Amino acid sequence: MRITTVRLVRIGLLLLGGSVAAAAQQAAPPPLVTLQEISEGLPADGSRWLTFGGNYSNQRHSPLTQITPANVNRLVPQWTFQTGTLGNFETTSLLRDNVLYVTGPQNVAWALDARTGRQIWRYRRELPPNLTACCGLVNRGFGVLGDKLFMVTLDAHLLALDMKTGAIAWDVTMQEYTNGYASTIAPLVVKDKVIVGVAGGEFGIRGFIDAYEAQTGKRAWRFYTIPGPGEPGHNTWAGDSWKIGGVGVWVTGAYDPEQNLVFYGTGNPGPDYHSASREGDNLYSTSLVALDADTGKIRWHYQFTPHDLHDWDATEVPILGDITIAGQPRKVVMFANRNGFYYTLDRTTGKLIVGKPFVNTTWAKEIDSTGRPILLPGHEPDEKGEVTCPDITGGTNFWPPTFDPSTRTFFVNAREVCMTFYAWKPDYKAGDRFTGGAGQRVSTLESPAYGALRAIDPATGERKWEFRYLTPSTAGLLTTASGLIFSGDAEGNLLALNSRDGKLLWRYQMGAAMHGTSPTTYMLDGRQHVLVPAGTTLTAWALPQ
Amino acid sequence: MTWTRSVLTVAMLWAVGGGLFAAQEPPAKNPVEGNPDAIQAGMGLFRGRCAECHGMDARGVRGPDITQVWASGRTDGGLFKTVKEGVPGTEMPANPRILDYEAWQILAYLRTLAAPAPTDPPRGNAQNGERLFRINCASCHRVNNAGGHLGPDLSRVGAARSREIMLLRIRRGLEEFRAGFEPVTLTPETGQAIHGVKKNEDLFSVQIMDTRERIQGYEKDKMKSVQNDTKSAMPIFGPDRLSDSDLDDLLRYLQTLRGFNPAVVP
Repeated sequence: MRITTVRLVRIGLLLLGGSVAAAAQQAAPPPLVTLQEISEGLPADGSRWLTFGGNYSNQRHSPLTQITPANVNRLVPQWTFQTGTLGNFETTSLLRDNVLYVTGPQNVAWALDARTGRQIWRYRRELPPNLTACCGLVNRGFGVLGDKLFMVTLDAHLLALDMKTGAIAWDVTMQEYTNGYASTIAPLVVKDKVIVGVAGGEFGIRGFIDAYEAQTGKRAWRFYTIPGPGEPGHNTWAGDSWKIGGVGVWVTGAYDPEQNLVFYGTGNPGPDYHSASREGDNLYSTSLVALDADTGKIRWHYQFTPHDLHDWDATEVPILGDITIAGQPRKVVMFANRNGFYYTLDRTTGKLIVGKPFVNTTWAKEIDSTGRPILLPGHEPDEKGEVTCPDITGGTNFWPPTFDPSTRTFFVNAREVCMTFYAWKPDYKAGDRFTGGAGQRVSTLESPAYGALRAIDPATGERKWEFRYLTPSTAGLLTTASGLIFSGDAEGNLLALNSRDGKLLWRYQMGAAMHGTSPTTYMLDGRQHVLVPAGTTLTAWALPQ
Repeated sequence: MTWTRSVLTVAMLWAVGGGLFAAQEPPAKNPVEGNPDAIQAGMGLFRGRCAECHGMDARGVRGPDITQVWASGRTDGGLFKTVKEGVPGTEMPANPRILDYEAWQILAYLRTLAAPAPTDPPRGNAQNGERLFRINCASCHRVNNAGGHLGPDLSRVGAARSREIMLLRIRRGLEEFRAGFEPVTLTPETGQAIHGVKKNEDLFSVQIMDTRERIQGYEKDKMKSVQNDTKSAMPIFGPDRLSDSDLDDLLRYLQTLRGFNPAVVP
């Protein structure tokens, strides 16, 4: 019905312009973006990238094979785009019909010609001066459906933009930014809904995941990440602490169409470090929640770090996969957590299958058979400070991992860093920082810090190989069916490795580190391209013609 | 906009009865610097509002090291504006909820981290200290555009470092190397080893200043080894090399170095 209306309007406009004959000679405009396309994920022809993780499973594993371990060292740049704004890319660009749709820092966004990197349109949002975004004025990407792009804003709005012009189709307020809310997440489009979350775990918010009707912007459901009075889990917050307990959601989840469930990692409870301000497990903080995509009702949850005291948001990227474990086919969700443990969960029940450290962890001995960490003493921050590994940034963080189903390998950029954590009782003021503590890096003489790209078997949690960096990397990853893995180090090197053994095959100094995001890949005019966001630039690479 | 904000600030100060500094323009000098009560209050404010990014000791975590802000030439008035208004386009937010007197308290505390006040009366002869500096230190350290480049420029060291810290560095050497001055030895496939300090490094290359002050980059795969040295090029000046009296003189001179002074002709 909607499509018919749009077509009629288009025909009417053409008639007005008197250009029917000319239009008839041109190729028909591409059809609107369909759910079918999004559901198919990354197609074999490489013609599109339409959702944050490439597909609903968030695997970021491309079927393309033109660039291989044998020829990757011949990659040459095709073009470079510069934002012209302050701040760095953390975005995953979308590709459709040879056009890239890109969000940047400070809520600027572009449509770019994928062949040349030249701008087609630019959108810029006028932002209020006193934003409360905790950790960078960034954005992690668009969602898309029909003729609209969806983008969250630093002042906690959700926008729909016209794909052709960047003009605003609708604009809804998720929450008042003056109360500490912000949004940086890439929207996830499921059926007719746009699913997003809010940031603000350091500002005394009460976090939530929202779904909006893609066509109108009307809110369809809201899931509060902190249960209200009378709801299960509410009693895991002492007193009124639930009202200002944080638990933002700022990294895109995964979707399982078979179960009609979305899976989202949730943020830290607040105040971040002060235990006595919020006694209890503080559900659903630092958890993976499985929600019905139609209603937002919770099906199950798994809490990685009950009563977290180290700001270990579980806002890492969940990856869905179907793998064989102990001879049995299992539907799983894979999750490398900021707290230093790698998890494989049964995604139909939320029960733990594997829970194993993937970096040095000093706060918990292991994960017990019920899925709860067995704590080690001496890791509750106080005014004197206590040393814990990993540090506040964690064993990993929001930069995307990947999963190669053909070799059953989960890849993650890991960090080996320790920190002294302090805590004190904070006062709450609406919209103000509310953390109740701080962290101080441990001297590198006492504890050398480094990073590594690690390949993990999700059936066991065992490491297959690692590639060590000089310092901890915050880059995301991309794997391809030809056996490549693309990564980056903190010194600005773009790296291509053999995903089977971690051998370095090619490198290029980009001049800025890839931070919080990964390369993407697609086909354009018969050539495979690798698109790399690093600092304020976006660079497209391909093999020579 | 500026006018509106100033009016609002005055109104807020009046409303909370905290109108200590109700002028429209902030004073150029921190009116509570050195005030113990202000420093105590500032510590609480700093820890609650600043330490998460800048660290408990202000030496940087997510945000930068801010112990050197005065040493780098920032003024009280400028820093006050930064605390209140943030740095647009960066993660340093505006802090409209911080009252003026709270901003001054934060700066009073930060000042104690930047250069703790000496607890003993000044002693030593700065003139003799300058002479000793030229003999012992100037081949590596620079002051007012004169001296070597292998060690950090010390033109502002008196504002940036306490006497106690400088004394420890001279008598006992360095515990941790400052970025840009980490000692390194490169051993080429052929030829002599190259000693210097590291200016930058990644997995594949290293950029150094060698002991002849040549700046140069080297590819690691063309080297037999790239070794981070554990011993600083900065010698330890024990009492055998520098008497207690000479040390007092040298420290007194270093304490006078509070910023580049173009009037001083090398």
